[in-house]
Amino acid sequence: MDLGLRLTVAASLCLMPALPLGLRLGHLQVVRRSALESRAAGEFARVAEEAAPRADILDRAGRVLARSVPSWSCFVDKAMVKDADAFGVRLAPVLRVPASEISRKTRSAGRFAWLKTKMDAAEVEALKRAEVEGVGIAPIQERVYPNGDLARGVLGLVGTEGRGLAGAELTLDKRLRGASRRFALMRDGAGHAIYKSVADDGRMPDPIRLTLDRNVQYLAEEALREGAEKHSFKSGYLAVQDPQTGEILAMASWPTSPLKNPLVQDAYEPGSTFKVVTALAAVDEGLVKPDDAFDGENGKWQVVPGVAITDHEGQGLMTLSQILERSSNIGIAKVVERVGPSRFYRMSRALGFGVKTGVALPGETAGELKPLSDLTKVGLAACSYGYGLAVSPLQVIGAYSALANGGTLMEPRLLYDGKPGARVRRIGSEGAVREITAILEGVVERGTAAGARISGYRVAGKTGTARKIDPLTHKYSTSAYVASFVGFLPASAPRWTVLVVLHEPHGAYYGGQTAAPIFAALGRRLLALETVTPDMPADVLALLPRSARR
Amino acid sequence: MEFGPGAATRLAGAGTLVLFLCWQHVEATRLGYQVETARKTARQKGSRVATLRVELEERLSPAEVSARAQRLGLVPVEPDALRRLEVRPAASGVMGRWWARRLRPLVAASRS
Repeated sequence: MDLGLRLTVAASLCLMPALPLGLRLGHLQVVRRSALESRAAGEFARVAEEAAPRADILDRAGRVLARSVPSWSCFVDKAMVKDADAFGVRLAPVLRVPASEISRKTRSAGRFAWLKTKMDAAEVEALKRAEVEGVGIAPIQERVYPNGDLARGVLGLVGTEGRGLAGAELTLDKRLRGASRRFALMRDGAGHAIYKSVADDGRMPDPIRLTLDRNVQYLAEEALREGAEKHSFKSGYLAVQDPQTGEILAMASWPTSPLKNPLVQDAYEPGSTFKVVTALAAVDEGLVKPDDAFDGENGKWQVVPGVAITDHEGQGLMTLSQILERSSNIGIAKVVERVGPSRFYRMSRALGFGVKTGVALPGETAGELKPLSDLTKVGLAACSYGYGLAVSPLQVIGAYSALANGGTLMEPRLLYDGKPGARVRRIGSEGAVREITAILEGVVERGTAAGARISGYRVAGKTGTARKIDPLTHKYSTSAYVASFVGFLPASAPRWTVLVVLHEPHGAYYGGQTAAPIFAALGRRLLALETVTPDMPADVLALLPRSARR
Repeated sequence: MEFGPGAATRLAGAGTLVLFLCWQHVEATRLGYQVETARKTARQKGSRVATLRVELEERLSPAEVSARAQRLGLVPVEPDALRRLEVRPAASGVMGRWWARRLRPLVAASRS
């Protein structure tokens, strides 16, 4: 027998046992391949999902206002629990939840129940070590607001499923939410995961920058809170806007709620802060000259028989400046007679009243501006001093910002993109705007807004005090008021427009006594924060030593 | 069929290939375990970093800073208590002009 034959026989004998194995293998691999593959996939393969964190919300300087952090929740599969009481007793020290509460949740209807949410990594490890049957752990993304309640009215709220429920979290929900990453995994016999591949890359959303300034927001909230302690008003809000760009720097409300932003959603009767609209219409159309005098009728004037307008103080002859400085209803009602309904209506619309501003927050109100056909003699007179219409705080601050920047209505912006502000329209001639601004400075210097003065700085603004409608009688209340002040500073080169609105202050209720001091308190802090040079020369000189005053 | 040295070599080659494929499979599984462990570690570390960042932001929040300042006895500054000092480099003489040229950009930067 030659060597080749012997090797062939030996090899055949060695390979003989492998033949049935090979045939079986072929049968499993070829004939039953798809059935076995799907069975194995069901038992060993799985897809792990890694939830993409919701994007950060930042302030204009990139400081974090809202961020998502990984967290865990644990749940019970009631079908796997035989004794709810024993289950509760065993889990209570691990979860640090009363055993009775765990047992109660385990007995409730349905197969599934959450036992604890917002667990940290240490708690999860302890739970894993306890190896309690019937307990599952689900990773979630917890939304955290590192500054506490700061700007919560603007930021809003996120639900347990990671969807925005209110505020910017709701409006920007699509941009803030990412898509989960998915991984294909295998599980070995001991249940350990083996990484296979990335099934889906997901999407990590980019952070969103708001125009809010965290420090300005804090100062605004502090000023409002201090005001609340002093005047114990029912509710109040304060907004700060950059008049040059329309960017909203702060939106504060008191009491704070993440579910509601009254600065966008509330409309109110503005009272005397609306007199500026009448005055601007009159000056812009050249209908009133600076030295034109209007009779104050000693505090009471019959517009039509049976309908009288009153002033809080009796006045004689007044110029337009004095009408605004003394906040005379009769005076401005006489001015609006010259203006007429169509010009008044046109100016109101030009300043943005009666339409939504389009700010990126939910539930914005357009306010209510009477249609031109409803502006009768009495209606027009009432509107001239801010009654019989409703405005949103954003509209008011936008209108005053337009005066502050020299006459351009800017779109109020909440999303920061580093671009110059969007201009909406011109509101009047440069000369008219300048004249009204000078009058508003006079209101602070000599008029009703003395409380808004800031030593060393020029301030322009207007007070407002309006009676509220009594919800029971549907008539104007004699005890409930809306006190407000809106102004800008420093008046020589305005950097901030500030609106303060207080509902139902107790004790003193005039805007000049309640809202204006809040404006001044905030203004002082803003000026110090930005180290703005004083723009009132007399005060600057007073600061210098005598030898240097030349 | 004759089983010569050539066939033996081919069989050995095939065996080596099978062994290589087995080794590759084992190695892929081992790496799969490692990747999964690394992924878990990365997730834990990422979670810790996120928590620490939030803690940092909480410490830097204006309310927290204000509370700490109050504990130290500090009070909010009034705007008229601030003095803005401007540096105007003297430009007289050769050295003065030389220094002025060098200081001008710094002064401009401090103003901005």
